[in-house]
Amino acid sequence: MSRMHSTNRARAALAGWILGAAVLCGCSHVDVHSNAVRGVAYIRVDDAIKHHPLYPQLEQLNNAIAAINFEAALPRAPLTPAQIAAQTKDLNAQLQAAQSRANAIIGTKQQQYAQQEHDAQVAAVKAAGIDPAAAGLGQVMNATSAQQAQQAAAAAQQGYAAYQQGVIAQDNAAMRSVAQQLSKAADDKFRARAEQYQQNESDLSLKLAQENSAQRMALRTQLNTLSLSADQRKSVNDQLAALDKKESDQMGALRSADAQALGAYRKQLAAQTSSQIRAQQTAIQTQTGAKLAQRRDAVGAQLRGLGAPPVPTVSLPPNLRQQLGQIHQQYASKFQADAQQAVEEYQATKSDLDAQFAALHGQGTTATGAAAVQLRNLQKRQGQLQTQIQDQIQREAVRLAKQMGFSLVLDDVQAANGGYDLTNDLIHDLESQHE
Amino acid sequence: MTRRYIATLLLLLGLSAAIAPAAIAADLTDVGFIDQSALGSLPAFVAANQQLATYKEQLNGQFAAAMRNAKSDADKQRISLQFQQEYSDKQNELVGPLYQRTQLAIANVSSAHKLSVVVDKRIVIYGGQDITSDVISAVRSAAAIPQPQASPPPSAIGFVDQSALANSADVKTASSQLQTFQQQQQPIYAKRFKDATGDVAKQQVMADYNKAVQDEQNKLLKPLVDQTKNATASVARSKSLLLVVDRADVVFGGTDITQDVQNALNK
Repeated sequence: MSRMHSTNRARAALAGWILGAAVLCGCSHVDVHSNAVRGVAYIRVDDAIKHHPLYPQLEQLNNAIAAINFEAALPRAPLTPAQIAAQTKDLNAQLQAAQSRANAIIGTKQQQYAQQEHDAQVAAVKAAGIDPAAAGLGQVMNATSAQQAQQAAAAAQQGYAAYQQGVIAQDNAAMRSVAQQLSKAADDKFRARAEQYQQNESDLSLKLAQENSAQRMALRTQLNTLSLSADQRKSVNDQLAALDKKESDQMGALRSADAQALGAYRKQLAAQTSSQIRAQQTAIQTQTGAKLAQRRDAVGAQLRGLGAPPVPTVSLPPNLRQQLGQIHQQYASKFQADAQQAVEEYQATKSDLDAQFAALHGQGTTATGAAAVQLRNLQKRQGQLQTQIQDQIQREAVRLAKQMGFSLVLDDVQAANGGYDLTNDLIHDLESQHE
Repeated sequence: MTRRYIATLLLLLGLSAAIAPAAIAADLTDVGFIDQSALGSLPAFVAANQQLATYKEQLNGQFAAAMRNAKSDADKQRISLQFQQEYSDKQNELVGPLYQRTQLAIANVSSAHKLSVVVDKRIVIYGGQDITSDVISAVRSAAAIPQPQASPPPSAIGFVDQSALANSADVKTASSQLQTFQQQQQPIYAKRFKDATGDVAKQQVMADYNKAVQDEQNKLLKPLVDQTKNATASVARSKSLLLVVDRADVVFGGTDITQDVQNALNK
């Protein structure tokens, strides 16, 4: 009995040890520390992603994004110069509105934070028993620090330079586009006129052939008469040749007149087109100059409104100076964050308008307007979902690696002569979690 | 009974002895990794890249003007090459010294950690030795970085230059055929796309288009990819390498088997 118990205990111990070893190893089907594996595993992350339960959603987003991009790249019907001019005007108005909006936001925030900074500094100075005026804290506009004014000036100058570049590039593109469209319209007119002349010539040729057909037929019938003498045959042939010559002369005269008229028409069209192109280019250049001048004046006014930094007349204690510095830093940071946001919003609007502008001139292959907004939203969701999937794969892979006792797990392996392919275990793990 | 216990115990000890030393000796511990994006964020790199970007903008303007005045295709090609060379020279001038200093720092830190290979962080899912902060400290220090005393030891991790393998005539032909196929399919699917009403129908057209391209890719390129993978695995076997990664993911050390794989593919 006791011997049997001992045997059972030994068996149980052996089984327990094997089980324990298996648990410590994390699995029973791979020898993680063998010479062939050496504690190294790899994962085909791209394959794992395809087996993730959220992958169908990701694929759907990818297809929706591809559909928008595909649609944007499809060829469009060309616009007339008038349509291009109208739409360009509209886009420029939108750009101008976006700039004014950004400037207004920055201006308001500047005033607001300057007021708050001023109030906070006055309170701090008063609390220290010092007259705010003597400390250089007079009018609220004077409280706008030199640093803040410099930042605003630099931003305004930078904004103006970017605006100038953008406007010139857009207007150059508009001029090229207008020239192309007008030249194409002239070509179309010329082709239509040439086709008309060709039609007239064909009509005349047919008319002459019909008019002379009876006479020609009679002459040819005479030629078929065997009893015709050589002189008579010559006379009939001469009559036929004269008939052909008469028709040919008439046709030649018409063709010559048409060629002359076409040449003159080509010259006329070329002159008209050049004149129209020059007129359009002058108008665009005038608009460019006006837009730049308007913007330059606005920037100038903005810079003039910044005012001079305050001049303190009493020396402030070091701790108060430090406190005022901190207050300034606090409001300068807030202003900078808000200004940055306004600039970013403006830049987003500008890049969308630039894309619309490129599309207008037949150069665009990206989505614009509402489609661009939809595209951005879809891309955001796609990015979030992709990150969510990858993060979960990363977490599960690390958990599995630890559980199975691997010391290194790599992705993107080109070929394996050893190591352990952990992909299927990971896929199984991911799928079982979502069952 | 006692004898059985002792026998069992000896068996267990024997098993443990057989497994444990192998485990300690065999595991790969000489693989390091580095976060290259963190290196790229160092102020010196950011400043150099900003200067390079400004230079590129200026160069783009000059390039466009020069191309407008080009009289022939040969002229255009000459201008392109000239501007590429100018950009490359500037890149070497601005980023070259920083890159060399970083390479030296990586070599020294790797040597100190006894690493045989350092890979990019993005391919490491778990484990490995992170040497990013050590390398950043070395790069940022004012002191000169000495040349490493020894070259890296032989590594069980190999690498192949995928871009070089993708330059083979077969791959180029297959890629070109795939491109032609895409160009042929685009108008067909563009028409289906225009006819489709609603987002769901349009997305279905895109899914069909992607599947058609994917199928053609599997037909044209997959056999070549498989062939390359097999050749790579075969070379890895002959050189007793455990795994092979792409050259683009290796920062330092490792065993380059690109030429061997090319030879195997040309046989």
